[in-house]
Amino acid sequence: MSALLQIEDLRVTFNTRYGPVTALDSVSLSVNAGETLGVVGESGCGKSITALSVMGLIPSPPGKIAGGAIRLAGEDLTQASEARMRALRGAEMAMIFQEPMTSLNPVFTVGDQIAEAIMLHQKVSADQAFRDAVALLDRVGIPSPDRRARDYPHQLSGGMRQRVMIAMAVSCRPKVLIADEPTTALDVTVQAQIFDLLNEIQRDFGAAIILITHDMGAISEMADRVAVMYAGRVIEQGRADDVLDLPQHPYTRGLISCIPALGKGEDTLREIPGVVPPLHMLGAGCAFADRCAYRAPRCDSEKPQLQAHGHHPVACHAVEEGRI
Amino acid sequence: MTPSYLLRRLFYGLLLMLGVVVLNFLLIRLAPGDPAVVIAGEMGGADEALLAAIRADYGLDKPVLTQLGIYIGNVLQGDLGQSFFFNQPVATLIGDRIGPTILLVLCAQVLSILLGVFLGVIAARKPNGVLSGFVSVFATIGYAVPVFWTGIMLIILFASVFPIFPVEGMQSVRLRDAGFMIRALDVAHHLVLPAFTLALIYLAQYARLSRASMLEVLGSDYIRTARAKGASERSVLFKHALRNASLPILTVAGLQFGNLISGALLVETVFNWPGMGRLAFDSILRRDYPTIMGVLFFASAMVVVANLLTDLSYRLADPRLRGKS
Repeated sequence: MSALLQIEDLRVTFNTRYGPVTALDSVSLSVNAGETLGVVGESGCGKSITALSVMGLIPSPPGKIAGGAIRLAGEDLTQASEARMRALRGAEMAMIFQEPMTSLNPVFTVGDQIAEAIMLHQKVSADQAFRDAVALLDRVGIPSPDRRARDYPHQLSGGMRQRVMIAMAVSCRPKVLIADEPTTALDVTVQAQIFDLLNEIQRDFGAAIILITHDMGAISEMADRVAVMYAGRVIEQGRADDVLDLPQHPYTRGLISCIPALGKGEDTLREIPGVVPPLHMLGAGCAFADRCAYRAPRCDSEKPQLQAHGHHPVACHAVEEGRI
Repeated sequence: MTPSYLLRRLFYGLLLMLGVVVLNFLLIRLAPGDPAVVIAGEMGGADEALLAAIRADYGLDKPVLTQLGIYIGNVLQGDLGQSFFFNQPVATLIGDRIGPTILLVLCAQVLSILLGVFLGVIAARKPNGVLSGFVSVFATIGYAVPVFWTGIMLIILFASVFPIFPVEGMQSVRLRDAGFMIRALDVAHHLVLPAFTLALIYLAQYARLSRASMLEVLGSDYIRTARAKGASERSVLFKHALRNASLPILTVAGLQFGNLISGALLVETVFNWPGMGRLAFDSILRRDYPTIMGVLFFASAMVVVANLLTDLSYRLADPRLRGKS
């Protein structure tokens, strides 16, 4: 059986003042109904671009899907018309964004904004849609939803707004729910509540969730499988437990060792030295080579391919050669 | 929006009007020229005794501050004085002419906002497209060209090249006694050129402003959210984006209203529109103090009212401003 959402060899390019750069390079991911796929990596590694590609929201120009396929229940979205994409967006697939403070329109009430999403895809009256919106607000745990539905976004806290975003995203029971760093802007206790809510929603609605984050803690709590991205490529992929317990790629190891542990007496935060290279400066070799402790001459001349090794696929010459 | 807020705004408005009356009065007295001489000239000659009699007659022999006090007292009672030149109450003179001016100004305002914002939104859709470039060029030209020149060019165009619009007056003489609908259409027909002339400058500004404002709004997160829920491009532009982009446009529309009125005075003169513009023009030439002050009074009242309305509509458009003062 093929997966509900299957991304195959996706290549996305952007025209920049440095010329065309490749933001995503042969990215392949898949997620099944009821499953959560975690996508991790630092800022600028292509996580959000992957999500926006699925939604068909890559700003174009300058962005362009240059190759590959995105199949939702078998249908290739890269070939779909704009009208077809509009019908799918919000109905079959929905997205929760990183910034709840700015992701809601300030001049409409939150109830109206949820009702709008419902009315775009279902033949219901405005009154019915608003009542459904109130029910959804109740479902995502907003107290006195009747009253809150008539509030404007600026009258709600960040956590409440993110709940509103979730209510809006699940209003048409999408098959795929993409959550792009849904808790980054929220404080820690609210983060845990939002993750609980996403888990519940998944149980109720059976949606496939793609959780984009740079927070390994969130991955361990939420994800069934995980894909690690770096500079526009997937460099390690597998069951969440395997990747977290037995990371293979030096980058994944670095990410995991950066999780601060309580009670171990560490007083400095660890970090991976260096930064993700700008996309227009990627060379012929491994993009991580500059920051890697296991760098060898081959790493500078040849891009490692994702291939099965040990428990799960990884793209690293050092792992392949048994140097790690 | 509380009633107390409205009351306070009204009170400030009245205070402002009082300030305007005082300033107008003093500024006009500062201008060179003696109305008594002008009036005497109209009567055919001026000896000192006649001038003195005229001054006494019109209260011009009293100290300026006393004159000011008398004037304010009269204005508070609704009496704007008697025109030196027309020899009619100023209130009557203005009452006969304020209707056409308001009609012209409102039509120009609506025309410039609707067309300008529409052009701006269309241009913002493709910021590097041909239409966007056209709007920028058009806006620069519209801004740079003096309004009377546009008026004269339109008169030349529509009086001799394409005589489809009347270029003078507000009504056709032969239709004075026709039914209401016919007369309304006749006035609308006469209104086309003056309203378009007046709208042109502001239209260009609104187009530019709304293009910039839309471009900024279209980059925001909630626009992405709207797209992500499957909203059509038209809904994204005209519902989600325009409502937010309209806030700076509203502000400018309020501020521009004063300029629009002064522009109207020029346009009325060019197109011989029977509004306050002609009255202002004539009364300035004749040193007709009460009429000038009356015209200024009404023009400022319109600006104050327009600003109040802008402020109120701003609060309607942006829920974040409600409940604050």
